Amino acid sequence: MDFLQYTINGISIGAVYAIIALGYTMVYGIAKMLNFAHGDVIMVGAYISFSVTSYLHMSPYLSILVAMVGCVVLGVVIEALAYRPLRGAPSLAVLITAIGASYFLQNAAQLIWGSDPKNFTSIVIFSPIKLFDGQVTITGEVLVTVITCIVIMIALVLFTEKTKIGKSMRAVSEDRDAAQLMGIHVNRTISVTFAIGSALAAIAGILLCSTVPTLQPTTGSMPGIRAFTAAVFGGIGSIPGAMLGGLVLGLVETFTKGYISTQFSDAVVFLVLIVVLLVKPAGLLGKNIQEKV
Amino acid sequence: MLKIQDIHVYYGAIHAVKGVSFQVNQGEIVALIGANGAGKSTILKTISGLMHPRSGSITFMDQDITHTDAYKLVRHGLAHVPEGRRIFLQMSVQENLEMGAFTQKEVSKEELERVYTLFPRLKERRKQVAGTLSGGEQQMLAMSRALMSKPRLMMLDEPSMGLAPILVDQIFDIIRELHKAGTTILLVEQNASKALEIADRAYVLETGTLTLSGTGAELISSDEVRKAYLGG
Repeated sequence: MDFLQYTINGISIGAVYAIIALGYTMVYGIAKMLNFAHGDVIMVGAYISFSVTSYLHMSPYLSILVAMVGCVVLGVVIEALAYRPLRGAPSLAVLITAIGASYFLQNAAQLIWGSDPKNFTSIVIFSPIKLFDGQVTITGEVLVTVITCIVIMIALVLFTEKTKIGKSMRAVSEDRDAAQLMGIHVNRTISVTFAIGSALAAIAGILLCSTVPTLQPTTGSMPGIRAFTAAVFGGIGSIPGAMLGGLVLGLVETFTKGYISTQFSDAVVFLVLIVVLLVKPAGLLGKNIQEKV
Repeated sequence: MLKIQDIHVYYGAIHAVKGVSFQVNQGEIVALIGANGAGKSTILKTISGLMHPRSGSITFMDQDITHTDAYKLVRHGLAHVPEGRRIFLQMSVQENLEMGAFTQKEVSKEELERVYTLFPRLKERRKQVAGTLSGGEQQMLAMSRALMSKPRLMMLDEPSMGLAPILVDQIFDIIRELHKAGTTILLVEQNASKALEIADRAYVLETGTLTLSGTGAELISSDEVRKAYLGG
């Protein structure tokens, strides 16, 4: 029964990684940059939700909405102030700026909310489902996380495949200059991408803290790195890849914690990443399209 | 229709276009010929707003577009089919055409039909991913995609590049047809003989400067052009 329980927990945490990874992968696909501040936007999202419920005593559902709006504004502002001026600059400069933005957010959070861990109250009110005489538990958080993740993934795929904005995002992702020649406003498209990624970050932050209730300024950092790994693992730039990468990573992490050792979980996760990249450098679902001349 | 006055364009420290002036009148086919690296593509990129000149001016339909960004110019009726086609390889043929019509409120059925009549091959392959098309088909798609924006002026950069002779003829026939249907054309080509054959007027570009100009027929019979570009 342990195995089943680990699988359920792995899928749940994997679903959170997947939602975070979607933000990394979309921004990478369209803006061609690694937004290392993405993990910290998650933390800010969780803090906003926490503040709305704990300080303003408003409904947790309203807090999700406020957190999403707050993160969208934050993401779009970071992009406009920190990344846009570096468009066309060497990617190393952009990467360092992103790391800077990440630390800036962590320190700002420390200044605003303090460094003592907050106890995040789960937004999920369903009671756990017990199976096999209580040997396996599916918590409400697990159910909500997995369902949210599936809904987001389907919505994103439909968005990029069917809508005009979604298609223009794919065009920018493939060839920025050619997209401009179609009349596509590249900067606006990149802003939209950051907005979507940040809204997802807010959701991920709330789900993460509903499962693991300790909230502090560094809360987003490690899940952010794991989700980034998941995005690379699945094939960065690919939406289903982020999903698959997140789930695999969550399962590997949970099984390692369960069967080997808690301390080793990150080592095993990164070992798996290295092996996958050695065999398939573009990631599990990465695109390596053959071009005909 | 299009007037370029004394533009200077730089790639960093490299002075790629050194004081070029020329114009394209409504209804013309104008060719810009010259060797590899002469600055032909740079001039087109500067007109379409992907690059901006350090000095000089560009006017299109009586509007100063010297510093206008590329994405805005499509709405003015300027289409640029870039060198190397630059179609969206991972999108389907139909989606490429939809992107071409990005500035239109909706993808017009007539325009789509018109393009598919011009290029029946694309209609057959409309669901296919563009990366799987042959070189000639990709060039046709690049031109069709530009047509979807209903351009008044279409700029073509090396449309014959890398194509078999029979396809080159086909592409040039299509350029003639587009011109007949009312599109003004600015053509950049290394295949000088083909370009001069269909051009009303042409300019010769050498290392960033225009050295000769005249009607297509004049340049074909000019000794200098024959020696340098038409193989004697």
